[in-house]
Amino acid sequence: MVTTSNPKLKTFLIISGLGGLVGIATIVYRLMEGMKVTAMTSSVPWGMWVAFYIYFIGLSAGSFLFSTLIYVFGQRDIEKAGRLALVSAVMALVAGLFFVWIDLGHPWRMFNVFLHWNSSSVLAWEILFYVFYIIAILAEIWFIMRCDLARLVQRTSGFKQTLYRIFSLGWQCPDTAERAASCHRASLKATAIIGAIGVPMAIGVHGGTGAIFAVVKARPYWYSPIFPIIFLVSALVSGAGLMTFLYAFLGNKNEPDHKPIVQKLATWMTIFLGIDILLLIAEMLVGLYGNIPDHIAVLDQILKGPYWYVFWIGQLGFATLFPILIYIFKKESVNWLGFAGLLIVIGIVCVRFTLVIPAFVTPPIPHLNEAFNQFRFNFKYFPSLIEWISSFGIVSFVAFLFTLAYNFLPVYELAGSDSTIRRENDDQ
Amino acid sequence: MTDEKQIAVGTPEVGTKNSATKEAEARREFLKKVGAGIFASLFLPALSSKNFSLRAEPGSHFEKLPELPEKTEDEDLTIRMMRDLQRALKKPLEERKWSMVIDLRKCVGCDSCTVACIAENKLPPGVVYRPVIQEEVGTYPNVRRRFIPRPCMHCDNPPCVPVCPTKATYKRPDGIVTIDYDRCIGCRYCITACPYNARTFDFGEFYTKDKGNHDIMPYENVETYEYGENWKRQEGKSPVGNARKCHFCMHRIEKGMLPMCVVSCIGRATFFGDANDPKALVSELIGQPNVMRLKEELGTRPSVYYLT
Repeated sequence: MVTTSNPKLKTFLIISGLGGLVGIATIVYRLMEGMKVTAMTSSVPWGMWVAFYIYFIGLSAGSFLFSTLIYVFGQRDIEKAGRLALVSAVMALVAGLFFVWIDLGHPWRMFNVFLHWNSSSVLAWEILFYVFYIIAILAEIWFIMRCDLARLVQRTSGFKQTLYRIFSLGWQCPDTAERAASCHRASLKATAIIGAIGVPMAIGVHGGTGAIFAVVKARPYWYSPIFPIIFLVSALVSGAGLMTFLYAFLGNKNEPDHKPIVQKLATWMTIFLGIDILLLIAEMLVGLYGNIPDHIAVLDQILKGPYWYVFWIGQLGFATLFPILIYIFKKESVNWLGFAGLLIVIGIVCVRFTLVIPAFVTPPIPHLNEAFNQFRFNFKYFPSLIEWISSFGIVSFVAFLFTLAYNFLPVYELAGSDSTIRRENDDQ
Repeated sequence: MTDEKQIAVGTPEVGTKNSATKEAEARREFLKKVGAGIFASLFLPALSSKNFSLRAEPGSHFEKLPELPEKTEDEDLTIRMMRDLQRALKKPLEERKWSMVIDLRKCVGCDSCTVACIAENKLPPGVVYRPVIQEEVGTYPNVRRRFIPRPCMHCDNPPCVPVCPTKATYKRPDGIVTIDYDRCIGCRYCITACPYNARTFDFGEFYTKDKGNHDIMPYENVETYEYGENWKRQEGKSPVGNARKCHFCMHRIEKGMLPMCVVSCIGRATFFGDANDPKALVSELIGQPNVMRLKEELGTRPSVYYLT
């Protein structure tokens, strides 16, 4: 997988690269023109970018927690997808931070969060969490890949070799098989320790992102202890969905264990999905039964509002019903399972939109929406063209980065080291 | 009433001054002072906006306080409130508690306060500190209208303050919830956290830009005076890209003038003063049985009271 000779990958690199350039151009435009390029208003102050921000943070935390299933909780049968999960966790976090950064009214003042840190702000805590979290993932990736990176330094030459040397931080793996095995054991141990520290961190990262919303007592739809839990579980769903999708289509299909791994990934995905449905039902039924005006107005928006399809088709169809049906009826087909993963990855975007935007479209005081007739005071929101293009651009850009990393980094164990690891595992 | 009529028609000053004309003169003198006071309260901030500190110590600018007429029994409520204000300014900052009372029975929904506030603070499109909510009650033909002006509530337990990631918004000792424009990163968390939607975001738009064949009209480039500083609105510079909100016209009250919404109210429906002062008009009104606050169940403890 360390070659770029694959024409499909080359095409994808070009397409995502071009998309990424468009993304960078729109970001530059937004930085020059300011927030007026968005369709957000004072009454709907968070829109598409925030929805994508929590989506990618969720995807990151989900992927990372998924990797801890392997490295911390010992689910070795899906180990081959472990590095993939860590790499996508980094990339998703980069995307999420990009989205929240361009959403700031003063992006260049972002360091004020550290300079004037407010310990009572969930958002301030989150920013701090993201920093530690990304350090933890990068450290874990380095530990799990360091021997393979060291081998790649020896196998390559020129520019690539220099890059590998930088990434390996000069690490050199012992030569003899026995010492290499003990080195590998040390790597796995370090990964397990960092992963164990990373578990509460990832829960803090995404449960905390949910808490940003859950602590807002002004919005009854958000203000519920179940809200951060919903964030976490849907993050796990999206992480498992992404892994299923990526491994089904990118993993080596000629390997005998490719299909069982995809099936196991899909099983995990369905388990998380089951918990997610349970929480959704609890949230909806309690809210509807309670019939509190401010709360019911938001649920009405979600179920019967002008963007009803985001919930009914996106969340219930793409992210819930279709993947479950595929899992039940097409479990033997790797491609179908991969497709189910893709549906989840797309559908969770709708889940994120449903979590953020409907809370704003009902005025907190009745008739406030009619009190001041100006566009930027409207209680309606549909993303502007710039918001759409920049969102696609950032996603493309990160897909481009991911493809590069996927081609360049030893995302799967190198052939040379495979046997030693197998033997090592058998010994344990 | 007869005296007032005489003034209204303009009694000619001829012959010997009888007692009636003497009284009329005294009234005229009184009205002059009232007029001067109101006039000063309207224009003083624009004239003397420099050399003013945000946390001004009492006594530092007393010579600039508007001159008030001598106290009378049935004096105008505006004058009384200005008197309350001057009394409050003599106390240390932390002993004042600025509060507003809005008498909903007197509000006619003219939007004068909304407009006056926009003019005073030179607010751009979409930024509004004090909209007036209009509600229709009942069904035709038994319909009534109800008007609720909604400034910032300056809560004692403000939900917007703890959520700010940079401590850019905080509550002053005198009760005013303020924003440090230069520190605000524009994340809009405070806007989502406010149960009253009292905060708006400055998207950097202008009323006159790209409208017709001219550029921004000069009057839109006039600096706005908030939080003790002059701010020129331009892209990338505060207050563009910041959350903005009502600040009880801090710049006016520290000069002894009432907030713009109070002096512009045609129905005398809005009252302002120091709730820590038992003699102040607002304290009297807050003590009435028909007083209420918006969304008290959230525990925000607003400093804005409504009489119903």
